[in-house]
Amino acid sequence: MKSFLKKFIQYYLKVLTKFVLWRHKPFIIAIAGSTGKTTVKEYILKFLREKYGEDEVRGNPRSYNTEIGLPLAILYLESGESSFWKWWKILIQAKIKAIFSGKFPSKLVLELGVEKKGDMEYLLEMVKPNIAIITNIEASFTYPNSSLDIISDEMKTLVERISEKGTVLLNNDDARLRDLAEFSKAKVITYGLEEGSSAKAENLETDIEGQSFKFTFNDQQEDVKIKKYGRHFVYAWIIAKVVKSIL
Amino acid sequence: MQLVDKNKVNLSPIKEMELRASRIPGVVSLAQGVPSFDTPDPIKRRAIEAIEQGKVAKYSLAPGILELREVIAQKLEEENKFFDFEEEIIVTAGSIEAITATLLALLAPGDEVLIPDPTYTSYQPAIKVAGGIPVFVPLEEENHWAFDIAELEKRITPKTKALLFCNPNNPTGTIFTRNYLHAVAQLAIKHDFYILSDEVYKDFIFDANEKFYSLAELRGIRDRLIYIFSFSKAYAMTGWRIAYLATHQKLAKKILAVHDALVTCAPVVSQYAALAALEMAEEELAKYHAIYKKRRDLICRRLDKLKNIFEYQKPDSAYFVFPRINKEVLKKIALDPPASNREAIRAGGGSWQFAIELLEKAKVATVPGAAFGPSGEDHIRMCFGRSEEDIDLAFDKMEMFFDNLKL
Repeated sequence: MKSFLKKFIQYYLKVLTKFVLWRHKPFIIAIAGSTGKTTVKEYILKFLREKYGEDEVRGNPRSYNTEIGLPLAILYLESGESSFWKWWKILIQAKIKAIFSGKFPSKLVLELGVEKKGDMEYLLEMVKPNIAIITNIEASFTYPNSSLDIISDEMKTLVERISEKGTVLLNNDDARLRDLAEFSKAKVITYGLEEGSSAKAENLETDIEGQSFKFTFNDQQEDVKIKKYGRHFVYAWIIAKVVKSIL
Repeated sequence: MQLVDKNKVNLSPIKEMELRASRIPGVVSLAQGVPSFDTPDPIKRRAIEAIEQGKVAKYSLAPGILELREVIAQKLEEENKFFDFEEEIIVTAGSIEAITATLLALLAPGDEVLIPDPTYTSYQPAIKVAGGIPVFVPLEEENHWAFDIAELEKRITPKTKALLFCNPNNPTGTIFTRNYLHAVAQLAIKHDFYILSDEVYKDFIFDANEKFYSLAELRGIRDRLIYIFSFSKAYAMTGWRIAYLATHQKLAKKILAVHDALVTCAPVVSQYAALAALEMAEEELAKYHAIYKKRRDLICRRLDKLKNIFEYQKPDSAYFVFPRINKEVLKKIALDPPASNREAIRAGGGSWQFAIELLEKAKVATVPGAAFGPSGEDHIRMCFGRSEEDIDLAFDKMEMFFDNLKL
């Protein structure tokens, strides 16, 4: 019964999501990868909102990024978790929003959560991203992990689906992602600290204030300071900067 | 071969009281600091899902699954604490493993570790296991159990390697305020020692005068601070044995090697449960907070009725109260201990005798204050993590016991 209900909710939300996206045609920026998706999303939202204003750009609330989470993110609804009645209410709200809501942001920044084979295909049946960003492909386990190859195939699916007019951003410091560039019809921008990155961070230093680095993209240079620790923040800043320059 | 070592590690007095209590029928326990709740449903469901999806049977990376560490870093960021989830966060098998692994990584034999007096009983054995020597720093009871900075500095020697403390403090339920913490941080820089800040009760602050402050917010000491948090109390997950530490990457690397040697990785099923706790259990956390506040008010009301027996500092956090026992009462109860309990009295002091009398005669389990350090003598610790019914029943029994003694 539970499984039937889940499938019904999934199908219903998918149909409404496709309808909403067809109706409003927002510019979609999709972020996939093992980690760092939320940080990248937050940086892109911050940079784009500076340029376009708060109401024009929306991201997934929390990390709603799965087969049910993603439609909720697009329809801007909360999860009903395990409550039948909450879900009933949400399905009614979803229908009203899809059909009657006039206001919709012009840009959506969406995390795509992928765990197993077929997940990406399912999500891409709902959303057609204009820009795809892949952060990394990493394992949480120590043993040789065939699941990483499955995830890599899922990321390949995303790269292949971006049209010639779109852009794909790949982490140049991740060997698996570097190899995906050849499958793209779209323009590929690589980012990272390694040689050969189109958008590159150099001279990365950490102190009590945070991190500093020199950023180079399209022959432009900039000294950057971020008050947070970890390479993923550096990547997130670079990605957001590149996305802002594209839009 | 030496069989008795002066540094021998004994079973925690809290567990000893629980064991004694379990052998006596009809005892109400206010001893061990265990929440009365079951783990929230969203956490259990996520753990079951992880099991069914085949995610938990194998070791995770030594510092923990990436998803969990990433969410931990995001949550810390909301509290103005900045750590790199890839290099600076280690998920551990409970906070005591985080503490022990840290001490094992930092201490050389004979190094001294400062601990507040009174403080959590398990700190002393953890320090001893790591070859260190615990050095008590008395807190000022009349100043709401604050650090006495002059006393703290007096106890610093060339052998001092670290300060280990719990904020909010167990057993007093009080908070170390920002000014005192900054003074402690200055001493750590001046005398070059590390600070282990165990903040397991940080989510249960009831009505402190100022916003709860953590030394993990202070960037200037991030190379000498180890922040520790456990899921046990906040999310009613004591049995899952799951916690984490966050520290500068150079320290994290050293601690990770010990953590790997001790446990390889934290239980993977518990890591998924912890992920659910951070992502889905906000409502439960708020619910527990409200309930503990109600219980704190109840236990204070009941203590107020026993003014001739106890005086206490009102706890602003956690779920403990640490009342001082009236001298005359203590003298009357501890003066002539029965032969069966003399051994326990020799090991401890009046608070031991008092706690044992309460256990055996009133059938109420508490923890003798001496277990938490010399300044804890003449006190007992009561936990209000238990239900309101248990608190009321325990106090009814104590009132009857004191009435019978005509106190």
